[in-house]
Amino acid sequence: MRLNRTRARTRDAASAARLRRRSGILAAVGALVAAVAIGSTAGAQAATSEGLLCQTDPHQTFSLTARTGYISTPDGNSIYMWGYGMSSGQFQLPGPVLCVTSGQPVTVILHNTLTEPTSIVFPGQKAVKANGNPAQPQLDTGGSLTSMVQAADATDGSVTYTFTAGSPGTYLYSSGTDVTKQQQMGLYGALVVRPAGAAGQVNDRTDSAFSPQHEYVFLLSEVDPEVHLAVERSQPVDWSAYNARYYLINGRSMPDTLAPNNASWLPSQPYGALVHIKPWDAATNPLPAVIRYLNAGRVSYPFHPHGSDERVVNKDGHALQGTSSTAPQDLSYLKYDIDVMPGQTVDALMDWRDVEHWDATTNPIPTQLPVITDQLLVGADTWFSESPYLGTKGSYPANITVNNECGEYYHVAHSHALQQATNYGAAFGGMMTVFRIDPAAGCPTS
Amino acid sequence: MSTTTIPAGPPAGAPAPAPRPERGTWSRTALAVVAVLVVAVLGLLGARALRAGDDDPGRPVPQSAEMETALGVRISRVAVVGDGGLVTVSYVVLDVDKASRFQADTKHPPVLRSEARDGSTNRVSVMRQGHINRAGATYYFVYQNTGGALRAGEDATIEYAGLRLEHVPVL
Repeated sequence: MRLNRTRARTRDAASAARLRRRSGILAAVGALVAAVAIGSTAGAQAATSEGLLCQTDPHQTFSLTARTGYISTPDGNSIYMWGYGMSSGQFQLPGPVLCVTSGQPVTVILHNTLTEPTSIVFPGQKAVKANGNPAQPQLDTGGSLTSMVQAADATDGSVTYTFTAGSPGTYLYSSGTDVTKQQQMGLYGALVVRPAGAAGQVNDRTDSAFSPQHEYVFLLSEVDPEVHLAVERSQPVDWSAYNARYYLINGRSMPDTLAPNNASWLPSQPYGALVHIKPWDAATNPLPAVIRYLNAGRVSYPFHPHGSDERVVNKDGHALQGTSSTAPQDLSYLKYDIDVMPGQTVDALMDWRDVEHWDATTNPIPTQLPVITDQLLVGADTWFSESPYLGTKGSYPANITVNNECGEYYHVAHSHALQQATNYGAAFGGMMTVFRIDPAAGCPTS
Repeated sequence: MSTTTIPAGPPAGAPAPAPRPERGTWSRTALAVVAVLVVAVLGLLGARALRAGDDDPGRPVPQSAEMETALGVRISRVAVVGDGGLVTVSYVVLDVDKASRFQADTKHPPVLRSEARDGSTNRVSVMRQGHINRAGATYYFVYQNTGGALRAGEDATIEYAGLRLEHVPVL
């Protein structure tokens, strides 16, 4: 009996163990199902996403790692680059878009896997500290500058930068060490500072409000592949022969700029540059989009969006306004060509308005199907959608169902220094993208 | 100590323990549930893998020697972009003269035809003419995605001058 009781207890214990194991298996399988389902959904969303991909953190703490990697160019080239990526992630170009709130502390931890020291400078941010000390230029024993700020040692060094996020707007962050070389190699990214309590505004002014679903970063830069090849081969760089061949928006050149965020064929270049909006309407679509331009290159980039002016509201993280403390004058302005100087940032609001109030029935205007303007990427100011009436489609050849998804417009936007709108001299490419305007009712198939 | 010596079954002559049939039922039920869940997981993983495969940039684009000989280009990628409204077709130049003629034939652009449904597009915006094509370099067309004719994850056929390139993965 004793033995039986012992066996019974043992059986009970074994049953309980089996139950626990079964429960564990069921829980694990269930979790796996959920994880796969969630992962599938997230993956599908990522594959079709557009607009700004913000890196956020409740403590505004970001861990970045400087790494080497390669990017693809549309002409089939592969370029050796350096870049900041999330430490939990992989190499990417440009660095992650860090989104923070004005007046709140920010911590950026830089890990370095490069074979030389590197650092990060945050132009426009005040009282930046590095490892708890004031961030300041570093000199060697001979008094020569070695870095604009304290750097992370080569191979496995790290340094922690802290500051309080400054005035709302957009800022560049980039290497402060051997700047000409390291910035050319790709060590740069965007910092977006949002107004406290008003994340839907560019700055503290209420007239800088934008549609949060239509927020874009255009980080402009350039690449001389000969420089990158020399660095890859550990050879000296001949800066006197510098000649940029590739011009990038968010690390991509046209037509890759049109591809979605996280496009599978651009694994190291996660950010697209398609602007996708609807016409302005006071009742249904009153807020503009915002495009945050940054220049991480060596020359000015005169960025020209066809078809619509943009309203410049911020420069270098400062609202364009007067100095009155009670009612500062609005100094924003409309601009047909957004000149972005090296190191500069420009925040511009944009919308699309049907100022002529076109209507195929009540306000028709003559239209003729152009022979060539829909054939060349640039040759007309717009990419003609074969009807001047947004969302209204005309008659088409018998073999064509419709000429686009829903009668949407596409406006080209590009650097107006046209050599910057090429891929190694082949037009068009480079610093170019399109702005897509859908009819007010939307586009069912997109 | 005794637990280590307990046999898997009851000793001979001992009364059959009551829970056994119940344990068997539970086991069968549990196994069935686990099996269903495993099938569900495998199904989801399979669908995901299939989708990933369709969208896999490493999945090769078929090649046609006939088309390459005639046009002087090799199609290297077809991708839906512009939030579904546009399609890019990239091609590598193999023969500069033939490729230049192919690119300049704006009145007869290649037709992209979905293999999954009725739908095609031939409204193309090409790179500007005049630059010098380089052998080995990649160039592109941008199409309006007529009526959402092509969708990522499916296959398309490219038709030009009576030539066809089938089963081109659409990224």
